[in-house]
Amino acid sequence: MKRLATMAALASIVTASACGGAGQVDGAGPGGIFTTIDGSKQINASAPINPFNPVGSVFAGYNGMELAWPKNDPTDPNVFYPAIARSWTETPDQSQVVIHLQPNARWSDGRPVTSEDVKVSIGLAYTQGGTAYALDPAAAGAAADVRIVDPATVEITQGANKSSMFLSNLLSTVVVPAHVYGRLLPGNFWQTLKVAQYSSGPAADRARASITGLADKVIAFAPKQDVSAGPFVLERVNPGAALLKRNPYFYNNKVIGPDKVKVLNYTGNEQIWNYLISGQLDNAPFTSVPAAVMDRIRQVSGSGVISGYSPVVTSLAFNQAHKPYDNVHVRRALAYLIDRRQVTRIASPEGGTPAVTTSGIHARAAKAWLGGGFDALNPYRLDPAKAAAELKAAGMTRRGGRWALPDGKPWKVEIHVPASFSDWVSAAKSITSQLGDHGIDASVVTTADYTLYLSELAQGKYDIGFWLIGLGPSPYNIYQRIYGQANGWQLFGGRLKHVAPGTEGNWMGGPQTVQAGGARVDPGQLTGDLNFASPARQKQIIGTLAEVTNQQLPVVQLWDYVNTQFVNTSRYTGFPPNDSEALRLSSGVWMQLGMIRKRQA
Amino acid sequence: MTRGAAITRRVAGHLARGVVMIWVVATVSFFIIREIPGDPVQGMYESLLQKGMSPQQAERATAVLYGFLPKGTLWDQYVGYMGSLLHGDLGQSLSTPGVQVTHLIGAAASWTVLPVLAGTLLSFLLGVTMGVYAAIRRSGKLGDLLALSGSLLHGIPVYVIGLLLTAIFATLWPILPSGGPVDVDYVPGLNPGYIGSLLYHAVLPVVTYTLASYGGWILAMKSNVVAVLGDDFILAAELRGLKRGIVFRYLARNAILPLFTILALSIGMLFGGSIFIEEIFNYPGLGLLLVNSISSRDYALMGGTFLIITVGIVVANIVADLLYTVIDPRVRSGGTA
Repeated sequence: MKRLATMAALASIVTASACGGAGQVDGAGPGGIFTTIDGSKQINASAPINPFNPVGSVFAGYNGMELAWPKNDPTDPNVFYPAIARSWTETPDQSQVVIHLQPNARWSDGRPVTSEDVKVSIGLAYTQGGTAYALDPAAAGAAADVRIVDPATVEITQGANKSSMFLSNLLSTVVVPAHVYGRLLPGNFWQTLKVAQYSSGPAADRARASITGLADKVIAFAPKQDVSAGPFVLERVNPGAALLKRNPYFYNNKVIGPDKVKVLNYTGNEQIWNYLISGQLDNAPFTSVPAAVMDRIRQVSGSGVISGYSPVVTSLAFNQAHKPYDNVHVRRALAYLIDRRQVTRIASPEGGTPAVTTSGIHARAAKAWLGGGFDALNPYRLDPAKAAAELKAAGMTRRGGRWALPDGKPWKVEIHVPASFSDWVSAAKSITSQLGDHGIDASVVTTADYTLYLSELAQGKYDIGFWLIGLGPSPYNIYQRIYGQANGWQLFGGRLKHVAPGTEGNWMGGPQTVQAGGARVDPGQLTGDLNFASPARQKQIIGTLAEVTNQQLPVVQLWDYVNTQFVNTSRYTGFPPNDSEALRLSSGVWMQLGMIRKRQA
Repeated sequence: MTRGAAITRRVAGHLARGVVMIWVVATVSFFIIREIPGDPVQGMYESLLQKGMSPQQAERATAVLYGFLPKGTLWDQYVGYMGSLLHGDLGQSLSTPGVQVTHLIGAAASWTVLPVLAGTLLSFLLGVTMGVYAAIRRSGKLGDLLALSGSLLHGIPVYVIGLLLTAIFATLWPILPSGGPVDVDYVPGLNPGYIGSLLYHAVLPVVTYTLASYGGWILAMKSNVVAVLGDDFILAAELRGLKRGIVFRYLARNAILPLFTILALSIGMLFGGSIFIEEIFNYPGLGLLLVNSISSRDYALMGGTFLIITVGIVVANIVADLLYTVIDPRVRSGGTA
């Protein structure tokens, strides 16, 4: 009897919990709870509430704030929405940037956000290294001096080795409260930084080691509670979700719709699909979704999709150190035999558009950079006759309906792909099938996971593999994927060097110089120049690199990404429209910008 | 030799062998883990790009991880690892930088115990009980039905059962949560809301585990009972007119003996979690921790998780062996009973 009573009590608890459902939350006001996921990381309840920790419980746009939020511009990486920085001014060469803070910005504990907070945040960023905060005096685009002008104004000076990305990197600085994080920086930090940046010899080495030695301490720092300058502050987190409540001191609190935000965790795409099918999510960032699942998501009441530009491109990259892919005619023949429309329809119907041609850039950015020059590029439309001519030019022969190598041996094309990327696997299968139809023996070889795939790719083990390119909007980042480390050019501390194929990660194995427009050019050098060239010169360089890429085909561009966001308007409305410049930002930033309101009954 | 001394000697022998086994596994796994190809930082950087993060953001998120990569020669690393291990220090995680591996394992273990232990015990109790009935009623329809259910469930992979249950109860007929261990709305503690949410979220993982393991128990128990039913002592007991309950006790006690060892090992194995179940239901236990540590090439976490699984199995083996002597008089008296 006692056992029965216990079981009945447990059952009633479970039933009560189940009937409560997702809506049963104490403390949620009329704004309700906005449910989403963080596409950039999985929730890790063991990690500290610290934005410097890569898996920390700080969510950009909600309880994590940067000086400003980047707009999704196809060509200009230096356009931003205001955030902690209300406005900024910069000299034409970006040697000096003055940042004016939001006058009403406050932390969630009520203290004002000041220039001191920005300075401490910059100091902490130096301990992590990279971008605007490199300690190497030769590094391009490093901040050299940080000066507090007044409690709401900070002036930052760029070092002698200029970069056109300085403003962009600077405005992406995460801002943390000095009264919480300040003690992580030793009293003599700024003097040590000066020695690290401007001296040489053992003293400078010691200073650099001392600063980078702080990285572990900064990453491991675990504040007892969240102190946020964003619209929300972390209430609690468990391995399944994070719950954030409104920060009443947020500088633009009146435009924030929801009272709370719930960020759900996921272990794979399947879980995101389940959340979407069950209507739990108000917004989910881009997730690869098969057509059948997409149909089910669309059937959910209020479900919708907003899409826009995403500066990412999927390509098929060649190892030019391997025969026969060292021959440009072979690469061109393959480009003529791949029906990119069909590949995209099978692999990424919602998340991609077939590449118009191969330029190394997303078509939208390419049109903006190249203007009429874009149409002058060879589109490599499906053309078996041209492909056959190219293969003959490469010395290939056709025997018994199958193409053979110049020495008469059978030609076996192997396309490598990480097994966990379903869209790439589908694309590879489609391509091998198409090549098979045109007399080329082709097969797909999968690798257990992405880390292993990248490792083997870098070791030069593959002839052909999938590779992301066109990572805009920064022109340097776009071409660095083709004419960077993967192809032998290494840029360290502002110095560029080229290494031989098969060494130091040079798996693409392309030539160091190529013919373009009647002259020999060094694509890696031109790519490096994009870092500091004037806008006019950048345009010129991009024209040359697009032409070189189109003619030499170190890669075949397959599809350009589309940023596809899932929304459900049953509970909230006011999501950004298609092609919004805010589309790649989190829904927390959308709220800051006055979007997302509770649906009125 | 007194009985107490014999037991002490037996326990000491087990412990010594266990320690050697743990050292061997820790050593082998240390070197195997270091040989797994792949640069974890590059892997994470490219994964972030794949998710649509800008190169600058991805660089910022990964650059600092270089500081957490193991340094020095392999031998130096091994000596350092063993030295730390003696102090109970499993090192720092790479995938959760700044956090000790022991902390991560402790947190994950607490989430593994509920579903895997409950699933193991439930499936054992259910399987053993049904196994006895299936053996006794083996000529009837009930016996056939029970045996068939065991064969069917034993043959279906656990991930198929998990995905099927998720599709039915979390998607088609959404009465149960599809993932997560507990609703974040409730304040953790001994309050009905939190406990209810814990149980509510554990239903699908526990049922999946129970169904996946039940088949093995019922089939093994049925087979054991059938074998014992033909033994002379059961016939003698029936001829002596002993009560049915007493005969049943004889039967069950002898038939369950081989299963007891498997149960003890299963409980030891629970420290390995259940990879598929935790992955499907986003249950943050040790199995999921191990999978994530492998994909992120988190050497310290991988080593720590392998070690905890090894220790669990070694301890379970020792406990099973010692308890076997308690429940089986033949073992206790050296097999002469």
